[in-house]
Amino acid sequence: MTRYLLRQCILLIFTVFALTLFTFCLSYWFTGEAMTNSSGLFPDHPDYADAFAARAFDRGVVAQYIAYVQHLLHGDWGRSLLDGAPVFEQLKVRFGASFEVIFFVLLLAWIPGVSFGVLAALKPGRASYILILGCSIAGYSVPVFWLAQLAILVIAVHLGLTPIAGQINPLYEIPAVTGSIVIDIALAQPDNLSGAYLSALQHMILPIIVLAVMPMMLLIRLTRNSMLEVLTKNYIVASYAKGMSTRRVVWSHAIPNAMQQVIRQLGSLMSLLIANTLIVEVIFSWPGIGNWLVRSIFERDYPVIQGGLLIIGLLILVSHVLLNLFHAWRYPQVRKDLYASS
Amino acid sequence: MLLDIRNLTIRTQTSTGLVNVLDRVNLQINEGEIHTLVGESGSGKSLIARAIMGFLSPRWQVTADRVWFESTDLLNLTPQQRRNIIGVDIAMIFQDAKSYLDPNITIGEQLSEAVLDRDLTGSWWQRRGQRKQKVITLLHRVGIKNHADMMQSYAHELSEGAAQKIMIASAIAHRPKLLIADEPTSTMEPATRQQIYRLLAQFHARYGMSMLMISQDLGAIMPQTERISMIYSGQLMESGAADALLTRPHHPYTEALLSTSLYRQAESEPRTKLPTLAGVEPTLQHLPIGCRLGPRCPYAKPECINFPSQTKLRDHHFACHHPVNLED
Repeated sequence: MTRYLLRQCILLIFTVFALTLFTFCLSYWFTGEAMTNSSGLFPDHPDYADAFAARAFDRGVVAQYIAYVQHLLHGDWGRSLLDGAPVFEQLKVRFGASFEVIFFVLLLAWIPGVSFGVLAALKPGRASYILILGCSIAGYSVPVFWLAQLAILVIAVHLGLTPIAGQINPLYEIPAVTGSIVIDIALAQPDNLSGAYLSALQHMILPIIVLAVMPMMLLIRLTRNSMLEVLTKNYIVASYAKGMSTRRVVWSHAIPNAMQQVIRQLGSLMSLLIANTLIVEVIFSWPGIGNWLVRSIFERDYPVIQGGLLIIGLLILVSHVLLNLFHAWRYPQVRKDLYASS
Repeated sequence: MLLDIRNLTIRTQTSTGLVNVLDRVNLQINEGEIHTLVGESGSGKSLIARAIMGFLSPRWQVTADRVWFESTDLLNLTPQQRRNIIGVDIAMIFQDAKSYLDPNITIGEQLSEAVLDRDLTGSWWQRRGQRKQKVITLLHRVGIKNHADMMQSYAHELSEGAAQKIMIASAIAHRPKLLIADEPTSTMEPATRQQIYRLLAQFHARYGMSMLMISQDLGAIMPQTERISMIYSGQLMESGAADALLTRPHHPYTEALLSTSLYRQAESEPRTKLPTLAGVEPTLQHLPIGCRLGPRCPYAKPECINFPSQTKLRDHHFACHHPVNLED
């Protein structure tokens, strides 16, 4: 396991190096001056000369890259070209908002996705097969931007059940501290706490459902197929031979082993989910990274584009590595397949 | 009589219609007896074992005059009744033991599943300790001394012999009255095979449990076997005391198998034709009517299109119109 951990860490370092190199190069590839693109300071800014020296723009490219990474590590990700606000400070709040959505989407997709998948495998038959296949193909092929607009039109506009956009009713005046509205409400302690949570829930529910549809359908199909395969394995027969009940066999042997295939696929699901989150945030005006990044692209706010790309890249990379590590820790024969040792 | 099977028939749907994969098989096992079921692969040996255990999926139609274990009808059990018997009074070990161990759970955890809650007393913590102690005892019983290492191991870290020992440890956890062993040593080298046979013989002697051994090879059966039943293409050909059947078989199939076995071959001259049966075992889609050995049998006559009734000669049963070795 230590070997696997080390290998994954080294891989992560290399990919993060490539990612930072890319975002560093963006300063040069964008139009305008590299120094301004990177730091967000215009030449007429009083700190420009100091920043110019600190970011090593008077020296070679290698020194510039090293200075860039040092600035990243110190939390100085430049300033927005529009309002001069520090990118990293904004990023923290935006990241919280996006992360909250992704967390709830995974929760909403994971629990029913896996449960229905297991149920479908335990009750095999033509009807359940067609239902599952139909739902999952429909869920997978419906484009998320279309589904989001349809949801707004039907549920929010025609039925008036939920608000159209935003994170919470602005009248509650919740200051954005972490970006996650659930935590922010808890921190702000407004007079009408339950009202604030209800409002947050109403705002949150539509984007979360829209985003959860596709991963849920994928998970149902993945879990079902994986369960059907596991249920034919010899160790399931051996568990019955021990006199275990079907429920115990399913809980302690079938589901954990079926999850191995599902977890392996979860990484690609995460990338897809993050990409969809960016789109849905724009449609629902959710103050997350996606919304912020798309706006900055329209307004050519280069430091923000770099910061946004970097954080999304990091999110995908780190989630992949964590999934791999969990997979190898939970399923020891994976490590054996890799090294023929434990 | 511990296990009494009469006219066990198992049918399944094939491309040519409903087929009797197993055709009116009788099998009786007495208390404390080691009974070996011998047949080629695909002859339905494992099907009998799985029918006893209740593992067959609904696509197999199982009918029988009786499948009794002591006085319990094994074919009509509620799931709860079945759990009280399977794994407790009847246990089973398998061929390719490694694949019967969950790859993602430690051996210790898997063995502790074989310990029943009803055997434990006290608080949750005490029960946990007792469970672990019982697992260690089980490991020691099958001759695994370094129990600490073994309990932390995973299936992929074990040799085939060690994996089979774990399966045996799990099977004997409740001192079953009947142990079914489905080709437990077929993938092992001879030394490991003898080790496993000795272990099984030891438990047989210690607990007095009956055993139903299933084997493909008449030359590699457990030496302590008391009775042998020969099965060919789903029909029981011959059944009798081991020494009588091996020295004087009455069924042409047994005779043919014995003559191809290794120890008889050593006696034959080199460069002579191997005395085997002509042809191959029939497929499920093309089963011969009557005695299924018919097309391959050197003694076959027109009456062989009717399946012969069982003939009993002292303790020896055989189903053949033209038995061999009957002179005196």
